[in-house]
Amino acid sequence: MIARSKTLLPQLMRTWGLAIALLLIGTALSFAHPGFLTSANLLNVARQISINGILAVGVTLVLLTGGVDLSLGSVVALAGVVAASLAHPGDYPVLVPIAAGVLTGALCGGANGLMVTRGRIPSFIATLGMMTAARGLALVVSNGRPISNLSPAFTRLGGDLGPLPIPVIILAVIALATSVLLGRFRLGRHLYAVGGNTEAARASGIRVSVIGMFAYTFCGAMAGLAGIVLAARITTGQPNAGTGYELDAIAAVVIGGTSLSGGVGRISGTILGVLLVGVINNGLDLMNVSSYYQAIVKGAIIISAVWLDRNRKPS
Amino acid sequence: MKILNYLSLIGLLAIAATLSGCNREKLGPDGKKLPVIGVSLMNLSNEFIVMINESMEQKAGELGVRLIVSDAQRSPEKQIQQIENFIAQKVDAIILNPCELEASSPAVDKALAAGIPIVNVNSMTRSTPTAFVGSHDEESARIAMDYIATRLGGKGNVLMMQGFMGQAAQLKRDAGAREILTAQPGLTLLASQTAEWDRAKAMSLMENWIQAHGTNINAVFAQNDEMGMGALLALERAGIKDKVVVTSVDAIADALQAVKDKRLDATVFQDAKAQGATAVETAVKIIRKEPFEPEVFIPFQLITTKNAGDF
Repeated sequence: MIARSKTLLPQLMRTWGLAIALLLIGTALSFAHPGFLTSANLLNVARQISINGILAVGVTLVLLTGGVDLSLGSVVALAGVVAASLAHPGDYPVLVPIAAGVLTGALCGGANGLMVTRGRIPSFIATLGMMTAARGLALVVSNGRPISNLSPAFTRLGGDLGPLPIPVIILAVIALATSVLLGRFRLGRHLYAVGGNTEAARASGIRVSVIGMFAYTFCGAMAGLAGIVLAARITTGQPNAGTGYELDAIAAVVIGGTSLSGGVGRISGTILGVLLVGVINNGLDLMNVSSYYQAIVKGAIIISAVWLDRNRKPS
Repeated sequence: MKILNYLSLIGLLAIAATLSGCNREKLGPDGKKLPVIGVSLMNLSNEFIVMINESMEQKAGELGVRLIVSDAQRSPEKQIQQIENFIAQKVDAIILNPCELEASSPAVDKALAAGIPIVNVNSMTRSTPTAFVGSHDEESARIAMDYIATRLGGKGNVLMMQGFMGQAAQLKRDAGAREILTAQPGLTLLASQTAEWDRAKAMSLMENWIQAHGTNINAVFAQNDEMGMGALLALERAGIKDKVVVTSVDAIADALQAVKDKRLDATVFQDAKAQGATAVETAVKIIRKEPFEPEVFIPFQLITTKNAGDF
């Protein structure tokens, strides 16, 4: 609790700083390219960030406890192929592949949680192992091939509901719910406490391993959900999908002000971080900046966001 | 606690031994030891390479040879280790599906130095192997871009989706496509950008391009089918697919179906089956000291709605 109130002010400043940066970049882009500030393009950006956004919200909880989850990308692929293999036309009602995908993710996350909390394996190693194993499992489930011919009810999840893309609605609901959970519920406060100072949290009677299990399982379930949305969007379950997604998600969370050492961070910051990366991606594509330079720009943004943050924080 | 650790280690070793049991020496029907070919594949999580592998296994069964297949998982370093292992096992021949042009060359040198014949399949190395079986990657892009030129009557705006920048296939397909663009001054390259061979990334890129160029887009050439499918989905969702010609390369099952369904305009067929089968045939000819072709090029074929049923 103490850890949190101490960082509340710079935390707020940081969130606003990011919002201002986003606004500035957005303004610059709308001058640079007439196609940027149109409702169609803004919906594009929203659609394109939704998968990274769902992953980033999930991994925010793990980072808050001071851990990390490197298995996200592989779990996305595994959940995607599991869901896709149950989603052929006439197979099952659409809820079955969705439930199976989320459950697959939650199981992987739960296994991560067990290894970290009960097995005392550092999260970097435990989730690195899961990253390799889940990828292998995805290849086994799919025989190394994309699973296509999915039912329209399933692929609709990647489509639109009225003017709004469904993945964006899913992200909005999840971000809101998680934000409320962190801010208004005891479980949320305990997450901050565990990440801020594990020993103090344990001494004050918080069941540290239960909180840890929750964070990893939730993160895994979100990866499962992201895998379903991705499979629906690209209308196939791809065993190779999601490579590197974990790093994109972690980068966005860190840009959004969550500390890698735990205890500090908010969902609003994460969403702003995800938006910033998405807007820059979109803008660079619109202006046809060479692929080589795009990679350099993205790297520079990640580093400078964290660097600025570090310089502003009172020591 | 310690005893438990030892026990679990022994358990793991036992499982590993059981799993590798299929690698034990097999005898042919005449009781003689079957010739053994060591195979190192670039990446067994790639559908195309999986198809090459399947046709090799089938051919090996027909010809009465045994394959030891290992997956280099895109790492040229791992690939070299695998070749070293094959040399140590004294295999009769090696089939190499190189990860990279330069970095996989030492694998070829080592096999030749050990006196083991080596056949490269699908991709080249800088060092010359005993034999090569594959295709000219430039040709696939030339065929695809030429089809676009024909469809547009030699005039229009084209977008190109690149593979992973700097990989041999990307460089060659880029070069092939640009040959046609130079020869067809009526075609303008509006933009060219990487989507890293990936369907989801291609979809996002296409959405951004639709924003940037709108109705100016006449055609999209994607350097592989995965990206072609992504571009196709984005164009369909934007409701402008009927105004844009989309072609890609590889003829994976999804793309083939899309051509049959008249969604994708064309794909270029690279014959994985023929490549795998010919590689094994060539290796067996070398082992049996029969005459063989040192370079076999399997031609690409354009697939449109007209001939999609034949594949």
